[in-house]
Amino acid sequence: MDDSPRPPSPSRQSETPPPPPPPVSHTGSPTDFLKGVVGKRVVVRLTSGVDYKGVLSCLDGFMNIALEQTEEHVNGVITNRYGDTFVRGNNGVYLPFCKLCCES
Amino acid sequence: MDSSVTGIQEPFDLIRLSLSERVFVKLRGDRELTGILHAYDGHMNLIMSDVEETIMIVDPENVANGQSVVNVAKRKMEMLFVRGDGVILVRFCFSLSHLFLTVLL
Repeated sequence: MDDSPRPPSPSRQSETPPPPPPPVSHTGSPTDFLKGVVGKRVVVRLTSGVDYKGVLSCLDGFMNIALEQTEEHVNGVITNRYGDTFVRGNNGVYLPFCKLCCES
Repeated sequence: MDSSVTGIQEPFDLIRLSLSERVFVKLRGDRELTGILHAYDGHMNLIMSDVEETIMIVDPENVANGQSVVNVAKRKMEMLFVRGDGVILVRFCFSLSHLFLTVLL
């Protein structure tokens, strides 16, 4: 820890490297975001409350999703492990995904 | 996995690769199927053969240790049409890494 007083210097702050860019720019469309998370670990939450965690293999315009190394979580507990899975992205009512977030 | 290697660009490619293979299908209403996939379409309507259906029936009156007892019923069908809107998930019995290896060899 450096004890010497260091006045705040805006120029110094501007020199610090910016944080690593997010995988997809915030100005992109949802489609761009989804393209950016392909190949990353994601959580897919169904309306039933069941979570599927795995590596996003690919997805299409219906939000059909292919996952690798899939784990099924119900109430935070792993209930099943599947290898490769296809999750049907339903046309709205039965199976929309409330959450599709990147894990670190 | 590099999609250009496996040739998988969209989720339905996975289904196509599973034709004539045994798959596990999770359905709405706490039902599961295992069987051989013969045909599918864009709605995920499925034609399956040699199917075993597992139905989980929760009995709310019969409670043990604070949890409802789940009764499991099974039945077998030779040939089955599955309407696509009931499908939640399809699990494949091959692995993408295996596929990757077969492409290499």
